[in-house]
Amino acid sequence: MTKSDIDRTVAPKRAGPGMRVLKAITAPSARYLGVRLLQGLAVLFGAVVISFLLIHITGNPAEVLVGGRFTGEQVQQLNERLGYNRPLLTQFLDYMGGVLQGDFGDSFRFQEPAIRSVLRALPDTLILVAGAIGLASVITLPLAIISVLKRETFIDRLLRRGMIIGQGIPEFWLGLLLVLFFAVQLGVLPSIGNSGFNSAILPVVTLAVPLVSILGRLLRADLLDIMTSDFVTALRAKGLTEFEILTRHGIRNAFGPFITFLALQLGWLVGGTIVVEAVFVWPGIGTLALGAVETRDLPVLQSIVVVVAFGYVALNLAVDLIMLGIDPRIRLGRTK
Amino acid sequence: MSKLRDQTSISVRSNPSLRFGLSLLVSLVIFSILAWLFLEDPNRQNLENAYAPPGSLPHLFGTDALGRDVLAWSAAGIRSALTVSVSVAILSALIGLLVGLVAGYFGGTTDAVLMRLVDLELAIPPLLLFIAASVAFGGGMINLILLLSVVSWVTYARVVRTRILVERERSYVAAARLAGARIPHLLFVQLLPSAATLVFVLISLQAGLVLLWESGLSFLGLGLQPPTISLGFIVAAGRSDLVEAWWIVTFPGLVIVALVLAFNLIGDGLRDAFNLDVTLLDR
Repeated sequence: MTKSDIDRTVAPKRAGPGMRVLKAITAPSARYLGVRLLQGLAVLFGAVVISFLLIHITGNPAEVLVGGRFTGEQVQQLNERLGYNRPLLTQFLDYMGGVLQGDFGDSFRFQEPAIRSVLRALPDTLILVAGAIGLASVITLPLAIISVLKRETFIDRLLRRGMIIGQGIPEFWLGLLLVLFFAVQLGVLPSIGNSGFNSAILPVVTLAVPLVSILGRLLRADLLDIMTSDFVTALRAKGLTEFEILTRHGIRNAFGPFITFLALQLGWLVGGTIVVEAVFVWPGIGTLALGAVETRDLPVLQSIVVVVAFGYVALNLAVDLIMLGIDPRIRLGRTK
Repeated sequence: MSKLRDQTSISVRSNPSLRFGLSLLVSLVIFSILAWLFLEDPNRQNLENAYAPPGSLPHLFGTDALGRDVLAWSAAGIRSALTVSVSVAILSALIGLLVGLVAGYFGGTTDAVLMRLVDLELAIPPLLLFIAASVAFGGGMINLILLLSVVSWVTYARVVRTRILVERERSYVAAARLAGARIPHLLFVQLLPSAATLVFVLISLQAGLVLLWESGLSFLGLGLQPPTISLGFIVAAGRSDLVEAWWIVTFPGLVIVALVLAFNLIGDGLRDAFNLDVTLLDR
């Protein structure tokens, strides 16, 4: 009896996904998770520092606030009222203490806690982001498989060229062209606002196009890597066709890097969403941020920065947990 | 093997990406210079000729509501887009190279701080950061270049660091150290050449990315400010005329796509020519 046979007899026949994650908390993986958690906290702390510096870096926050419309004395009064004349460290600790309780101060524009304005706008942005991720994944998968199956043929080259071009398409331009065609010429889809499913189609497509290009290039490279590995040679010898190898084994092995990469793109995607929201007058956090710049609503801007960073850290930790559940290499502490 | 490939000269002719990317970039630059020399001032209004459709000579790209030539506008937009993206690419390459060398060679605190900055850059979308920062910093080209560089250098530092981590273990570095080489000599004479090819590829890829940032910000009215003409700004201006004059939005946007495509192709071509690891450079 070889060692692997013993492993097979000892291992339980079937464990649910939740069980798997629990079982995954072994010593090396606990250490790995601990490190990732600390790194996530460091990022969050960095985001809080940056959001603080945003308004203090010019030296005079009150000046930023009024934008040169008031006299020196009025600025001085404002400084005193908002506590901007206290030592910087005191202000930072004060700010930090507030952030820990979810308090970024009141929005100047809406006269309510800034975090409330942000959380109200968040679902609309999440719809766009989730829609774009879903659509992009559905399009990318078959494209990457075709590209690898027909590698170095005309179709593969065409797809690759298309993806390089797609990476360079600015979202605001693509959005306007889609509006021109589908809203103005054909009149089949609404061009602005959020009034249900139909109004989400154009913004989601706009966001998905560059994402398909980036994900497609990555997935193709990953799949090609897998197709040249030893186990695939064994599968070929077993008589499986290229298509069977790709769909049964290739995708499964590329899945991990794919969702890890996707989670890393969340920040970038939110950046794209801001521009897309501006084009489609979509009531999400991008529109909120642009309005906050116009009205110099500093607490809202600060809370958007921290909330986005928090979402990014949370999602990436979740992906780490999932990967721990499905990839034994990480569980055993044998990562690259 | 890779050492051998590194030393072969770059053949532009046998590298379609590089060849096409370079020709595209050169044609766009020549086009913008010719337009600058021979076309009328993009700001000159001619109300008799408002909304001339594209192809009505001499207005190849048509005119806007005030009869201004979209072709001349786009050419001017190329000049400012290239000024911003090339300045940012070079400035951040210098900073990133320096930090990457130090972090990669010494490790320790510099390295730890750098890696957290890398995380941070991914966690806070650059565009959101630029928008938020525009409250404190006014528009204008110099401010924009500095602001974009603050974000852009981190990528160079990350890539250079990864390379130096491998490179510092090689025997030639140990030999130089044994021969009594000082730190600056080790960093800038021994190690720097090994990272140089990576930086060239990155400059090209990042220039395209920076160009997209700049046009996006200018579209939102937070980037380059008039009278500086930017491609993103033209698209924003043409937005209200979308129904009457589709060409005002379409052509400047196509120019952006062409510019970014040129930079990406050059970057990809150089990457193939230098035989670099694909995954190292991907975002």
